[in-house]
Amino acid sequence: MSTDRDLLLALKRGDDAAWQEAFQRLYPPAFAAARHPLASLTPTEAEDIAIEALTLLLPKIKQVAEFDELRLLVITIASRKAISEKRRQLADKRGGGDLTSLDALQDDETIRFEPAEQLASHLNHTDLRELLNLLDLAFSGLEPRQAELVRDFLVHHLSYKELAQKYRMPIGSVGVSLARSLDKIRTHLRAMPKLWKELAAYLR
Amino acid sequence: MDAESFTNLALRVISGEATDADRRALEAECASAPAHRDEFEQLKLTHDALRATAPMSEAARATTPELPAHRVNELRTAVRQHFGPAASRTKNTVPFADWLPAFRWIFAGSGAGAIAFAVVIFCFANRTIEVGLYGTDLARGGDQALTADDISSAQLITFNQDASFDQWQSRPLAWSEHAKIWIDNEHDLLHIVRRVSHGHIVMESHPLAPTNEAQREQIKKLVESLKN
Repeated sequence: MSTDRDLLLALKRGDDAAWQEAFQRLYPPAFAAARHPLASLTPTEAEDIAIEALTLLLPKIKQVAEFDELRLLVITIASRKAISEKRRQLADKRGGGDLTSLDALQDDETIRFEPAEQLASHLNHTDLRELLNLLDLAFSGLEPRQAELVRDFLVHHLSYKELAQKYRMPIGSVGVSLARSLDKIRTHLRAMPKLWKELAAYLR
Repeated sequence: MDAESFTNLALRVISGEATDADRRALEAECASAPAHRDEFEQLKLTHDALRATAPMSEAARATTPELPAHRVNELRTAVRQHFGPAASRTKNTVPFADWLPAFRWIFAGSGAGAIAFAVVIFCFANRTIEVGLYGTDLARGGDQALTADDISSAQLITFNQDASFDQWQSRPLAWSEHAKIWIDNEHDLLHIVRRVSHGHIVMESHPLAPTNEAQREQIKKLVESLKN
């Protein structure tokens, strides 16, 4: 398709070739979102989630105004699905088929799940768009090496020891470096108090 | 404790890198200065928010991996099930479609003649039913596999490659074709694209029978019902 606008129009008509192109373009973000570290699914499980997320775009296409919204939409859907799948797997493991304990399990799950996981499963694509802009801004305020360090810590969940090895720095400096960078990022996040308040409400 | 040392300590606790001594030191700091307690909570909030959202932000920039080829059919089927067969979608996109009823009135006389001619041609047309299968399915099915004799009133078409099979599935029904049927082994479904009244085309999917023999019977019955 010549432009994203043409592509979106063709998608709304149900054009097979257009959907094929859209799926090719949207699969990488869908797969990456399904591999959200908080869900920690295997690549095969993430592939299933990504494919399911792509098919869930079909009923939403009429409400989409720009092609890029589909990218955000598929990321939020895939992240939610991945986290739900993790919850289901844990519930299966813990429930052990004991039907009488379902209520107790549900309560237990709510308590046990970390706030960050609850946040990832509640964000919609509009929130995500604002957050992406905000995070881009916040990370661009850091030195490239610092930004990479924070990404490795937050996105790839590397430990202090692994970070120290990768960045060839004393382990004692890792925490200091991360703390300074997080402080800078926090300053940017506070620039959007409404969004920050919503985030805080989810996380409390 | 200065602000930077406190943040460093708090982050070690939040990220699970702390020792017991670190945790005790943090508790003592928070107990001695309420501002430190607030600082700790704010830092935890930032950490949790970023752990949740930074991976989603990274996902937006992802360009790999490519969509696995073996999942393409599944997505294509989902598109067809959502929007209906390609032929009816094309019909919906005819320019000036809203004016068509008016044109019909204007050209009613010649239209009626044309329709009568079309009906005669249509009645004499070979209204075929096609059944598409992978050649390997036939080979695997052995004696129990579907044969051309089982469905003498339909045409059995075999494919050896995904691309040609996909193309056949996507191709709209020709005017002389009544229906086409194919097995979707990936989802255990039997897909049917057929004409209903007034030339309208619909796509249906039915659960696939569990054994080769039962599938053969299922397709035989389906072909018979479509022929009638």
